[in-house]
Amino acid sequence: MNRGSSPKNTANMRGYLRADGRKGIRNFVVVAYLVECAHHVARQIAQPYQTAGAQLIGFPGCYPSDYAHRVMEAMCTHPNVGAVLLVSLGCEEFRRSALLEAVEASGRDAKLLVIQECGGTRTAIDEGRRWLEQTLAAAHAAPTVPISFGDLVIGTKCGGSDGLSGITINPAVGRAFDRLGDLGATLMFEETCELIGCEDHLAKRAVTPELGRELKEAVAKADRYYRDLGHGSFGGGNIKHGLSTLEEKSLGAYAKSGTRPLAGLIKPGTRPPHAGLYLMDTVNDGPVRYGIPNINDTQTITEMVASGCHMIIFTTGAGSVVGQAVAPVIKGVSNSRVYQRLADDIDVNGGTIADGVETVDDVAERILAEVVSLASRIPSKSESLGHQEFALNYKTYEPAGPACLPV
Amino acid sequence: MTGLTNMIILDEGDNVAVALRDIAANEQARSASGPQLPAVERITQGHKIALRHIAEGEAIIRLGVPVGIATAPIERGHLVHVHNVRSQYLNNDEDHYE
Repeated sequence: MNRGSSPKNTANMRGYLRADGRKGIRNFVVVAYLVECAHHVARQIAQPYQTAGAQLIGFPGCYPSDYAHRVMEAMCTHPNVGAVLLVSLGCEEFRRSALLEAVEASGRDAKLLVIQECGGTRTAIDEGRRWLEQTLAAAHAAPTVPISFGDLVIGTKCGGSDGLSGITINPAVGRAFDRLGDLGATLMFEETCELIGCEDHLAKRAVTPELGRELKEAVAKADRYYRDLGHGSFGGGNIKHGLSTLEEKSLGAYAKSGTRPLAGLIKPGTRPPHAGLYLMDTVNDGPVRYGIPNINDTQTITEMVASGCHMIIFTTGAGSVVGQAVAPVIKGVSNSRVYQRLADDIDVNGGTIADGVETVDDVAERILAEVVSLASRIPSKSESLGHQEFALNYKTYEPAGPACLPV
Repeated sequence: MTGLTNMIILDEGDNVAVALRDIAANEQARSASGPQLPAVERITQGHKIALRHIAEGEAIIRLGVPVGIATAPIERGHLVHVHNVRSQYLNNDEDHYE
């Protein structure tokens, strides 16, 4: 077992208590650019401190977006974040004062740098770095408190699935999810477009019939949206590694959710109201607008982090190397061939199940050990390698109906 | 699973099995649950092998669930993939990769 920890060995699980009662497993200082024009300055500010807890995030668009604002605010007030530096060019339409106020109101240290007002690139970088250095020193000295599974919000996502994903690593995540749910954790899975074909089974797991109908409608919406778009969430990499259809991929993706009842349907930025298992609706509401709803794995991961995930369990068949800027990522792989090639990047090899040397339960046990390890402030592989991917673009959502979150 | 096992039948009603490792043409495909058959062509790890004759228009059943429709008759022991299966939903088998 990696790093010798097990779900029972939780003595070192400690985190950072925030004013809203949530606890973070990291105490990151976020540097956030509010338009692409401020990206370089923000990157230069953060770059020397990126191994010391400074994390770069941002939104490239200049036009206003309620969705992007909601995600950025959720990131800047995320439990893993202790302080925030906002970097604005000055003329973009992002509501930077509202964001600054929200971060300050959350009890976090915050600063706004407006490049057009502070004298340009050089002075903005100097001023930003001075603030960042002091703020990081305070972040490192912050006290910690014990945390339990009931404090944790955990998301799972798959990408680059292959013909073994649904047999090895994804069922192991499902088994780990069942156990984490029983321990009181809040859990979420995503990609309604990757549940096409599983909607009837999904609806039967809902805690109320009304939620069941909402879950089916969310999958039907994904099917309609992708038909209109003309491109589904199924492509070359899946085919190369043995999956023949979208519904076959769905069957494997669905295995990550385990077997427990579905407590609700949430949209990006909405936080689950209580512990349980939730599905995230990752597809836009309304007509096709702004293109593909999720341009890559990182955007979906980012949406789950915006809904409060402390960490993400990300499985692939083809192999991925990514992390995330605000929440650490545990990576699992479905086959030993890819694990052997990418062992420095991948935390859990599920290929041992296909090899006949481990069971689904054995691999679930190793996933749980990784969760405990991350919650004990031990970095995952992508985190150690400095990965801090972040992606956010334009989308539109309407508020969820009352049936989506039964009381 | 034994060392000889190289495919898995996920549900007893399935008409396909999944290769747990690469199976060469003419090699015996063996499941831990008992059934075995010769692979007529190479079945790469993670790909599907037909456990019996599948007629054109028949559903491909994996884990007890239809995961596609046969677009041509598929003989026992042959590869079941995008060249002889289509989606009941969206089809993206014209995607390019590499």
